[in-house]
Amino acid sequence: MRPLTPKRILSICGLLAAVLFAVVVISLRVGAYPISMRDIVITLFNGVLGRGDTSEFNQVIFGLRLPRIALGILVGASLSTSGAGFQALLRNPLADPYVLGVSSGAALGAMLSLIIAPHTVGAIQLAAFIGAAATIAAVYFLGRRGGQLDSATLLLAGIVAASFLSAIIIFLLTLVNGPGLRSMTFWLMGDLTAPPPTQNVLGWFGFLYFIFVVAAGAMYTTSSDLNLILTGEQEAGHLGVNVTRVKLVVYVAASVLTGLAVSVSGTIGYVGLLVPHVMRMLFGTDYRLLIPTSAIGGAIVIVLADTLGRTIVAPTELPVGAMTALAGAPVFIYLMRRRIR
Amino acid sequence: MRTACGADMRSQQSATAPTPADPAAQTAANKRATKLVTDETGRRMAIPLNVERVVSLAPNLTETIYALGLDAKLAGDTTYCDIPPAAKEKPHVGAPQDPSLEAIVALHPDLVLATTSINRAETADALLKIGVPVYTSDPHTIAGMLSSTAIMADLLGASEPGAKLVAELQRRLDALHAALQDRPMAHVLFVVWEDPLISIGQNTFIADALRWAGAESIIVANQNWPQVSMEEVVRLQPDYIVLTSDHLAAETHEHVNNLRDRPTWSELRAVKAGHVVMASDEFTRPSPGLVDAIESLAHELHPEVFPTKTENGKVKMGNSAKFFATATAESLRGCGTCAR
Repeated sequence: MRPLTPKRILSICGLLAAVLFAVVVISLRVGAYPISMRDIVITLFNGVLGRGDTSEFNQVIFGLRLPRIALGILVGASLSTSGAGFQALLRNPLADPYVLGVSSGAALGAMLSLIIAPHTVGAIQLAAFIGAAATIAAVYFLGRRGGQLDSATLLLAGIVAASFLSAIIIFLLTLVNGPGLRSMTFWLMGDLTAPPPTQNVLGWFGFLYFIFVVAAGAMYTTSSDLNLILTGEQEAGHLGVNVTRVKLVVYVAASVLTGLAVSVSGTIGYVGLLVPHVMRMLFGTDYRLLIPTSAIGGAIVIVLADTLGRTIVAPTELPVGAMTALAGAPVFIYLMRRRIR
Repeated sequence: MRTACGADMRSQQSATAPTPADPAAQTAANKRATKLVTDETGRRMAIPLNVERVVSLAPNLTETIYALGLDAKLAGDTTYCDIPPAAKEKPHVGAPQDPSLEAIVALHPDLVLATTSINRAETADALLKIGVPVYTSDPHTIAGMLSSTAIMADLLGASEPGAKLVAELQRRLDALHAALQDRPMAHVLFVVWEDPLISIGQNTFIADALRWAGAESIIVANQNWPQVSMEEVVRLQPDYIVLTSDHLAAETHEHVNNLRDRPTWSELRAVKAGHVVMASDEFTRPSPGLVDAIESLAHELHPEVFPTKTENGKVKMGNSAKFFATATAESLRGCGTCAR
């Protein structure tokens, strides 16, 4: 394995970013509404220059396709970064963003908002985030042992919290009526079609990406320490790593990223589990490289899956969560077998 | 409950376009002229005064558009829209729960029609956000369905056919009411789904439709689609079991025979007495065709009131609607009297 230099990190990330760009261009180009590449470019330029009009091109590009792509990138990057973080924190290859019950807490919050305030714009996102935050706090206090986070205790606490919350969700599902039930079903499958809850779409995405950058950035600052912790917590401690602090930062950052993703898109499966593993197989286990490549890789996967989901059975759309599960497993098995051989 | 409903117009006119002298510009302005409308879910939007192209997101809305004779304005519908058969030939925008928003925009609609009984709120929100007006109907009763029909007719520039259709449907319902008002309600189990057993709640339009047909659901639930335990059904012992189906008559017989062979079901008094009735699948769609289905069911449940079609204990498909549509209130009431 070549030594990991900043140049290597940048070149690999640049390569992945180019792939992401290509996927975004494809996603902008295809869809049920026929629109040529030339018209897309003209519409984009006019929109950026503030000369947007109310044409259908504008509605499709700025109203439908771009917000969905922006949401897909955010959700994919958040879930994969979070998954990479949890896999290190719990030292368990099966860990994913939902393993500690954050998504179940978010789902419970979303469901309560559908029961209490069914027609309130933005209530579902806010309630989901509050549910996620409450679960993060509860699991943190349950998962401590001797004053610090213990991987095994944390994992058990998280799994118990997740199944308890899921049981409440199933009970509440019987109380939700028609339209709410449909919304909830799509939410539980993972869905990118819900429009931003505000008229200020740019501000909304700015807010979401700000949270992502802060949380993912915080996790990235621990990446060198995480590499050491993965070789053994005691050894890392002897080498001067503040293990307690690193674990707390990773726990909070990964949980916030999960909460962020599920609040706006529901529970999209597989991405947070598989993308970090695929990136490890492709580029090695160093967290300084794994965190950024997972983020970009997750974005690529979600945008690609959503593009396929809204084109292969057009005009009906498949929820993005169904697409990731469908396509994710075979790709993962292929990579795993190739590595073993 | 059973009162005539006035078409409750919640829209207000507000000319938003100036009227220049030039006639060509004036036509263009008229085309863009809109009125502010609040739909049945409380969303406010501007809808063009001249709606030429409409996209329907639910089978019952498609059916309503055809019933109003406005199919020329129907630019597209969903893959579920199968009544009348011509609706299958229209361009589809996907399934009602997850249509392609782009496919809807590509049909250049002046107005999109949706309903809370099958569509998701997110679809209407997303379309309104990009400036496509979506009128969402929210019918919980037959009266609500009729007023929705009148409002939609008005939005599509067909107030007169709308009022005529609603008046005719109301007249048929009133005739039914007159014929059945002295009869005891039949206690029925309305089966939405057999396994698991799903019935209807009291706030659904189906529960209201049953009341018009002289029947009452034995299940009392606030949920719209409650899952019911078989024990509860045994305890409550319905007079009739009402199944919905679009099956052919032969399959229907098979269906009922299967029911007779199933353990707990076969012990029910209604099954033993042969009181298993098929309502057409129109019964589950809040559209004008629902009145046909209500009439058919009323004839099945109260054969003594409608003696022309009395074959008690035998399952039939409801196809007698046309005949009874022509019967007057007087003759129906007369039949009811002589039956007693």
